[in-house]
Amino acid sequence: MTRHHPESLSLMDYSAGNLSEPYALCIRLHLDECSLCRSRVDTLDSLGAVMMEQQPKVSVSESMFDSILARIDSSPAPQPAAKPAPKISVLQKLLGEDINNLPWKRQLGDVSVLDITEKFPGQNEQVVLQKLVSGGKAPAHTHRGTETTIVLQGAFADQNGVFNQWDFVVLTDQDEHTPVAVGCEDCITLSVLSAPVKLTGTFTRMLNPFIS
Amino acid sequence: MTTLEQQPARGEGRKDPWSQLLVKVGKSRDRQAYHSLFEHFAPQLKYYAMANGMASHAEELVQEVFVSIWRRACLYDWQKAAASTWIFTIARNQRIDMLRKMRRTSAEMHVETEDLWQIPGEDDNEPVTSLHRLMSERRVRESLKHLPEEQITVIAKVYMEQKSHQMVADELNIPLGTVKSRVRLALNKLKVILQDQNV
Repeated sequence: MTRHHPESLSLMDYSAGNLSEPYALCIRLHLDECSLCRSRVDTLDSLGAVMMEQQPKVSVSESMFDSILARIDSSPAPQPAAKPAPKISVLQKLLGEDINNLPWKRQLGDVSVLDITEKFPGQNEQVVLQKLVSGGKAPAHTHRGTETTIVLQGAFADQNGVFNQWDFVVLTDQDEHTPVAVGCEDCITLSVLSAPVKLTGTFTRMLNPFIS
Repeated sequence: MTTLEQQPARGEGRKDPWSQLLVKVGKSRDRQAYHSLFEHFAPQLKYYAMANGMASHAEELVQEVFVSIWRRACLYDWQKAAASTWIFTIARNQRIDMLRKMRRTSAEMHVETEDLWQIPGEDDNEPVTSLHRLMSERRVRESLKHLPEEQITVIAKVYMEQKSHQMVADELNIPLGTVKSRVRLALNKLKVILQDQNV
């Protein structure tokens, strides 16, 4: 059970369908593993439904229902059970690989990164996978803009606590931290950056989010 | 045509009329029920499409949503979501999907719209928490009656016009912080806010 959840306002933006794809992916990955947030989103979806119900109505053209019937008659409804896809599929689909077998780029001692921004064409954010080897430590840094992170594997700890698999973290330019990978697995995270990271220590030449 | 359904006795009273109709569509492909749903929801959906800037595709969106309702109705579980909630999420996903397809080629789409946005009540693995969910639907409707207009206005812009909190602030000429606190107050009433994230 995860202990760090997305903020209510972000869940509302998700429910309203207002998030860009990278942010929606972070929320979706969290929801898949967090029944508490699923029920929060269910309530928010109901809020959306009630909002829609309370707005004005606009009549549709007379022939529309017949055209819909014509469409459903021309292609038979698929049978149930055809639909449910396994949970891992979102990340697998996106990356085409297990997250441990990706072409990671070593940045400094303990940190590797993989920029997957190109998987989200037309979006403004930078999207980065980061790996901190078990027991490894990332240099101190702050952020420009906001960085939204979800833990995909393992766990890390910083000044704010321990973040386990599927935990959700949002850091702003006010936060400086020095994450350490805890546990016996490498810690892998997915981060969405609204602006590049700013290093505070001596590693000024590097752009490295785990460092996040 | 309508058939007799077996319902758990205690559940019958909790199912709202739209959810009953949707179950009939799913179980027995009931076209009369489908038509009733169309009469009720199509004008709402058309306004939804127009409000969020899809005026020229409004009817197309309504059609897509209804074709989708027909095809997915067999997956609908009234114990997991009310029909209106389920239909709202289909409309939301369909809007996102149409916009994505207008903007880019399928080769550029690495994930499906529904990999990112979920539909409640279609997950077989989810334990049935019907009481909780149907209460929540009713609670939302009840709570909204007591919310101040200024909070509802802000939420309506987010849901219906797809506005960011910053855009809402600019439009209403109020600080961003005020927009957020109005939303938080409303969400607090709806019990969406977790205790450690309280207002």
